[in-house]
Amino acid sequence: MIRPYITGAAAVTALGRDIATTREALASGASALAEVPPEGLPPGQEPSLAARITFFTTEPELSKAKARRWDRGSQYIYVASVQCLKSAGYDVKGREERTGILMGTGSAGAGPLTELERQMAFESPEAASPFLFPYTVSNAPGSQTAIDLGIRGPNVTLIQKDPVPLNALLYGRMLLSDKRADAILAGAVDEWNLIYHRAYERARLTGTASHPGFSLGEGAGTVLLETEESVRLRQVEPLARFAGLASANLPVSPQRRVANPDRMAEAIERALADAHVDPSSVSAVHLSEDGCPWMDDAESRAMERVFSGQPPRSLAIKRQLGENPAIVAIQIALAADSFRHDPNQNAVLINAFGAGGNFACAVLLRP
Amino acid sequence: MDHRSVVVTGLGAVSSLGQSLKETWDGLTAGRSGIAPITIFDASRFRTNLAAEVKQMPSGFPPALTRRLSRSDLLGLAAAREALADSGLLLEREDPSRVGVVLGGGVSGLLDSENYFITLNSKGPRSARPSRVLNHPPDQTTDRIAEHWGLHGPRATIATACSSSATSLGYASDLIRHGLADIVVTGGADSLARLTHGGFNALRAVDPEPCRPFDRRRKGLTIGEAAGILIFEAEDRARARGARIYARFLGYGVTSDAHHMTQPEPTGEAGARTLRACLASAGLAPEDVDYVNAHGTATQQNDPSETAALKRALGDRARQIPVSSIKSMIGHCLCSAGAIEAVATVMTIVTGIVPPTIHYEEPDPDCDLDYVPNQAREMKVRAALSNSFAFGGNSTVVAFGGVS
Repeated sequence: MIRPYITGAAAVTALGRDIATTREALASGASALAEVPPEGLPPGQEPSLAARITFFTTEPELSKAKARRWDRGSQYIYVASVQCLKSAGYDVKGREERTGILMGTGSAGAGPLTELERQMAFESPEAASPFLFPYTVSNAPGSQTAIDLGIRGPNVTLIQKDPVPLNALLYGRMLLSDKRADAILAGAVDEWNLIYHRAYERARLTGTASHPGFSLGEGAGTVLLETEESVRLRQVEPLARFAGLASANLPVSPQRRVANPDRMAEAIERALADAHVDPSSVSAVHLSEDGCPWMDDAESRAMERVFSGQPPRSLAIKRQLGENPAIVAIQIALAADSFRHDPNQNAVLINAFGAGGNFACAVLLRP
Repeated sequence: MDHRSVVVTGLGAVSSLGQSLKETWDGLTAGRSGIAPITIFDASRFRTNLAAEVKQMPSGFPPALTRRLSRSDLLGLAAAREALADSGLLLEREDPSRVGVVLGGGVSGLLDSENYFITLNSKGPRSARPSRVLNHPPDQTTDRIAEHWGLHGPRATIATACSSSATSLGYASDLIRHGLADIVVTGGADSLARLTHGGFNALRAVDPEPCRPFDRRRKGLTIGEAAGILIFEAEDRARARGARIYARFLGYGVTSDAHHMTQPEPTGEAGARTLRACLASAGLAPEDVDYVNAHGTATQQNDPSETAALKRALGDRARQIPVSSIKSMIGHCLCSAGAIEAVATVMTIVTGIVPPTIHYEEPDPDCDLDYVPNQAREMKVRAALSNSFAFGGNSTVVAFGGVS
């Protein structure tokens, strides 16, 4: 398989509506985590934290009039996609059939879905809005973006816990290798939803002021994967090379967060081997660390093992932006973008150790 | 290309026609309808209360497991159990890291989370069990299958609405072709839910009567539920272990219409692009194709658009070959439609029997192909296509071929 280039990167996050603002906010130590107001919680239960996008405008990428008809996930990924294409200097026009879009998600459609459920259950079945229904499907954000940007190549939405943006990268690599497209937007999008938040809270999975746990986040991240030939023809300077990816999954119950440092280390080692990179060459790691104590501890032990007690610079942005597949995609975008800003950056590892034993890692290299 | 060839070595199916591949296939070739009034939720206030519901849920799994499964999970596990047994694979002898699971899904555990929403709103948060809503995501079924059979290999769940499980076949085949897996359990499972039934009712896209694909009087689709699982295997390995090979997965096309969130592109050019991409990937010429398992939803817009797409992509060949919609019997199984229809396409090649389009009585001048009206037909099928077109313009066409 080819090792495609990354020529553009973008992020819409709870700390900023573009990658530069997000990067600066993260570097300054800012956190988007805030307590979710307790309405709807059983009396006595402590409210948990989430990283929500509280102020967001779709302009200038998307007019407010058009955005009003779209769900939040579609707005996030559309804005990120336009920014990503702009950063890559890539114009879809004239390349419609050679451009694809692969989006991961965990929660796209949650808002329209819960609203439609409310309408049907508490108003009447006849009250169900025909305008909401199409946005309840997980592929709405990717497809709405494809429709508006005129993307006619492969268009696929994937779901597989936190590592799903890495699935998108892998699928993009296979599709580009098979010459099904020349360039593919690959990333993920998620929207925060109170009903789902309350369910995680009731299951005591999310962190509170006194109880450790992860915090849900939202946003979108995407990169533009491109073949070497396309990069050469366009005469652009790539940000990074997507050099390696591997999974080391465990067959466990879907919601179980299983701490297994051996399999985590195996995923890291296999991704590095796929990229032909020695651990000593890795300059930074985007950790999967998200506040779930036993998972974070297992990842630390896996890192100790792979890097022989001398781990590279580690970044745990889920502590600032929450967790969800979109945050992993934001990590990928930040990693790709870092080669432009940090001359010492050589190789970046991205860890994604999700529930259900879904473990995967990716490696980006300076081109 | 130096990529490995991918073959089908096991099949499993659960549908409104029966709990097994045999029952489903016998029903399809007999032209039997699985469409009946919905029993799993109150549908009396909708435009139609008809659907193709699985009447008797599969059994034989430990009760402790079954309790935790959504309806989709149970359908998917049952079809996977049948397909794995059918394949003759001895999983304990396989390297589990080389066995993957790639499924399509979408509605998945929604019925459970609907019950959570209703309880939450009517009785308050203490009465609503959060496990019911956490059971909703479509990757649950993928993880459940990996868990139940101890599979460590690559996993992915495709969620592109009605083309989900057709696309999953493409992704699965790519994993094998690129050497990332030797065996992949692929296909999909999806179940009925109040929201999807209500949503299509709200769009007025459902027929109050059982659906009539390609018929002039068609008024829309009938929702269904099903699971279809195929065992994909690298051909060299399958032959080495002496496996029975049903068919070869020849290739697929995956494209974006870039037209509209709910409407198909009316000229058929978008669908034709997907068909051409599939033919190119499969190395087929139009004259090599002997049968098309149509998307055939029976909506006013889909059927003429799909007919036009077939004529654009296959030229004169489109008028020479049978094109049938099994949705007339098992309904539109949404995210599992591509999988159950792929299973039927493989069986068509293996048995030489083309399943019919039932309830077809009045031809539509805009739908002027041979839709195999009401009765199955015997004929040799060398290669066949299965079309899947989805909300959002996510289109996928897969191709299977016979093996000597």
